[in-house]
Amino acid sequence: MTIQNPTRPTASPSSAGNRMSPQARFRRRSAISDLLVVIAWVSGPVAASLYLASGGLADVKDAGSFFTALGIVTGLIGTDFILLMLVLAARVPAIDRAVGHDRAIALHRQLGKPALYLILAHAALLLIGYGMASGFNPIAEIGPMLTLPDMITAVVGTALLIAVVVTSLVAVRRKFPYEFWHVIHLLSYAAVLFALPHQLSIGGTLAAGTVQRVYWIGLYVIAIGAIVIFRFAVPLFKSWAHDIRVERVEWIAPDVASIHLTGRDLRALGAGGGQFVIWRFWTAGTWWHSHPISLSALPTDRHARITVRVLGRGTRRLTSVKPGTRVSFAGPYGIFTDAARTSPKLAIVAAGIGITPARALLEGSQLARGEATVLVRSSTDDETFLWTEMRKLAEARGAQLFAMVGPRARNSWMSQHDASRGVTLRSIFPELSRSDLYVCGPEAWAQAVVADARAAGLPDHQIHLESFEL
Amino acid sequence: MRRRAAVASVIASAGVVLAGIQIGAAVTAARTTTTTSGTGTSSGSGSTSNSGSSTGSSSGTTGSTGSTGSTGSAKDGTFKGQTAQTPFGPMQVAVVISGGKITDVKVLQETNQGGRSVQISNQADPMLRSEVLQAQSANVSTIGGATYTSEGYLQSLQSALDQAGFTG
Repeated sequence: MTIQNPTRPTASPSSAGNRMSPQARFRRRSAISDLLVVIAWVSGPVAASLYLASGGLADVKDAGSFFTALGIVTGLIGTDFILLMLVLAARVPAIDRAVGHDRAIALHRQLGKPALYLILAHAALLLIGYGMASGFNPIAEIGPMLTLPDMITAVVGTALLIAVVVTSLVAVRRKFPYEFWHVIHLLSYAAVLFALPHQLSIGGTLAAGTVQRVYWIGLYVIAIGAIVIFRFAVPLFKSWAHDIRVERVEWIAPDVASIHLTGRDLRALGAGGGQFVIWRFWTAGTWWHSHPISLSALPTDRHARITVRVLGRGTRRLTSVKPGTRVSFAGPYGIFTDAARTSPKLAIVAAGIGITPARALLEGSQLARGEATVLVRSSTDDETFLWTEMRKLAEARGAQLFAMVGPRARNSWMSQHDASRGVTLRSIFPELSRSDLYVCGPEAWAQAVVADARAAGLPDHQIHLESFEL
Repeated sequence: MRRRAAVASVIASAGVVLAGIQIGAAVTAARTTTTTSGTGTSSGSGSTSNSGSSTGSSSGTTGSTGSTGSTGSAKDGTFKGQTAQTPFGPMQVAVVISGGKITDVKVLQETNQGGRSVQISNQADPMLRSEVLQAQSANVSTIGGATYTSEGYLQSLQSALDQAGFTG
């Protein structure tokens, strides 16, 4: 079924499982993905059930106790969501493989505001509930409330949470440099930990000796554990073990450079073609900023290569790092790879710097002759970097390669010339409906391709997108 | 596939919530039983509330706070109960028995950890006292929203009643 690449045996770590058909792999992956989704959503009702199972309903006798009960439940669900957000941001390999890092982060972002609202509702409802129970007004309840054990830390935790969510709102986030947002965001770990004592010391639901308490602490262990292991321990260990350093920087277009890296046993990283790695270059000007950058070639034992476009000061500094600079990393991540295939044919559309993962994807795919079709797109001749390599790879893989150069047509992702002569996705990829379409390029352009593919009737699971925000 | 995940989530959530409610009901029932059966060793007649788990040989007379059986054994006086530990601090009461009847319950130590529980205690204590005086036993239901305080109160009260040899 496959033609082995004669020049290089593909040593993808998943190659043992790779020989399942794309359809079978897709069924398996979507089953796992569905399972993860169900676990995620059901954890909310489970949190509410902790309260119900402790006999909470029996305490609901009047409006005051009703608000109190509702306040407890919103606190439980809100905290559950926050812990879920930690797990989603922890870059857990199983989650990355099943749904991809970008979808996990998208869900993480979606949960932010609801989680904050639930926590604020938790505080407000309990003030109302306690207030009604004692005949005071809720405002007068704030004083006595603060004398509860561990309430001060809980209030501090809530304040941190507000700061974290507010600085993450798109409109607010744009106003600050990335580093500012990042530092504030790290406070969410403190927020989560500050909130824990009052959960355990006040109220009956999570009281000592209950099953609920064990479950709850278990959730905390999972969430914090996932962060500690996958965000810190594993990357630190891998960075140490592979000992990656800059070999040289090679300019391949006016504002595009390939950074060649050397390291130890890099094949063991198990990077699939199309994956990205989060890099940190240890020079005085660059160490405090990490960069997610796609591999532009599959790593060999000693070498890896990434290709970056200079977009701002950060990436400008990257391209001036000296040979020998130490590089730490986390990853590889992402499912813009062969592993995400669902259909018998492969269609790749890449533009600009999007060529980097597309090239690695083509390199890492085991393909039958004629299985893949590639379209590379650029507005100008300056943008045709890596095209030569792409052409050679396409030849070696028995893939057809089309190039489309020229300024973009209005309301289309294609060049004016091709749009006007009636070229469509289907005319480029005659077997589109039996294909996985991998789209990679600048955000707006890539979205236009995706919209076009959807309009052509391609279902979402056959569309794979990796976009670069410019 | 997304629909499958959504349907499964909804079904599982419903199941989890129902299970929670069921367990909660069982827990509530058990809690009430524990409170009432704390007196289960009574061998006299006419316990006011008969819980199923009572080990006594009470013949199931209900209603009247029969004093016939107890007057002989109960001593008059004030009896301190043992201190009951609750998550909000220790709770201790004393009971005053006069003429074979509970005439007063005094709170000696109060759950007091944090303003909220002081507030709860202040609210719950008088309610518990009046219930106890009416029922003439520690077999009264706990006060909603003050479960721990109530349980501590009644537990301490029961030990005081035991000392007095008061069986209702």
